[in-house]
Amino acid sequence: MAIARSYKVGEQIPSLTKNMTQDAINRFEKSGGATGPSQFTDLDTARNTLGTTSTVASGRMSLTFATELLRRYFGADVYNGRGMVDLRFLRPVRPGDSVTFSGKVTGVVKEANGCRVSVEVNASNQKGDVTAAGTGACVVPSGYLPAEE
Amino acid sequence: MAQRHEGTKLLDWEALKIGEQLPTLSYVLTQEMVDEFRAGVMDPEAAFPTISQKVDVRPYHLVYHDDGSVNARCAFHCYNPPVPGKRITVQAWIADKYARRGKNYIVTEAVSVDEDGRLLDRVITHELKQPSEVGKKWQ
Repeated sequence: MAIARSYKVGEQIPSLTKNMTQDAINRFEKSGGATGPSQFTDLDTARNTLGTTSTVASGRMSLTFATELLRRYFGADVYNGRGMVDLRFLRPVRPGDSVTFSGKVTGVVKEANGCRVSVEVNASNQKGDVTAAGTGACVVPSGYLPAEE
Repeated sequence: MAQRHEGTKLLDWEALKIGEQLPTLSYVLTQEMVDEFRAGVMDPEAAFPTISQKVDVRPYHLVYHDDGSVNARCAFHCYNPPVPGKRITVQAWIADKYARRGKNYIVTEAVSVDEDGRLLDRVITHELKQPSEVGKKWQ
């Protein structure tokens, strides 16, 4: 029997902080098969493509961190099969940045196969600038939720 | 300046058709890819290394070349974590395109399925096709 979980609108999700390094960015890109220089791994390419003075992290790294935030909150057994996240990338994340992901529950709605728990998600850097914002959701099976009265 | 790649055509945003199917992509997810991905995202339990494969835009680049892009928005739906050693097949298509504040965006969507027919994930990405415009704000 699964442990009962309950979700309330307004509930804060425990935050998650990531300290970005060029090595982490390089490994992320390498894992996807990228071999040549890119705006993520090479300063000259970033300068020529984006006009920036540093490399930047792929938005997909932030997407992955948001996925981790929500997986930790909902549990891998549920989130990895019924979760989603949708992020807008607002500012660059660079090597040396410390980025904190946070969120809160915005809705709990019954669906045919459980309850859809919706959340808002934000990411901010060490300066307090928002680097990404969006939403996430997970359909939690009814069997995981407290019995209705 | 658009980089030329053999066998691809320069993106004509006006002519791009919503719904255009992109070439099927197929690859084997190795344990090394998984390990490298988990090290990169600093999460030993990260279950979807398919995220770093960028499987929605890779098929696009088999057809088109352009001036580069910046990821403006990305959505990811989890269905089943991929299993190392399994072959993954990706179907991708042009899901949408739009212009906002004088900038052109394209939206690609892709679905990954493994060799056993397990639906793995769905990714939807909005890419800004004038990357230097964003760079000006990012100084």
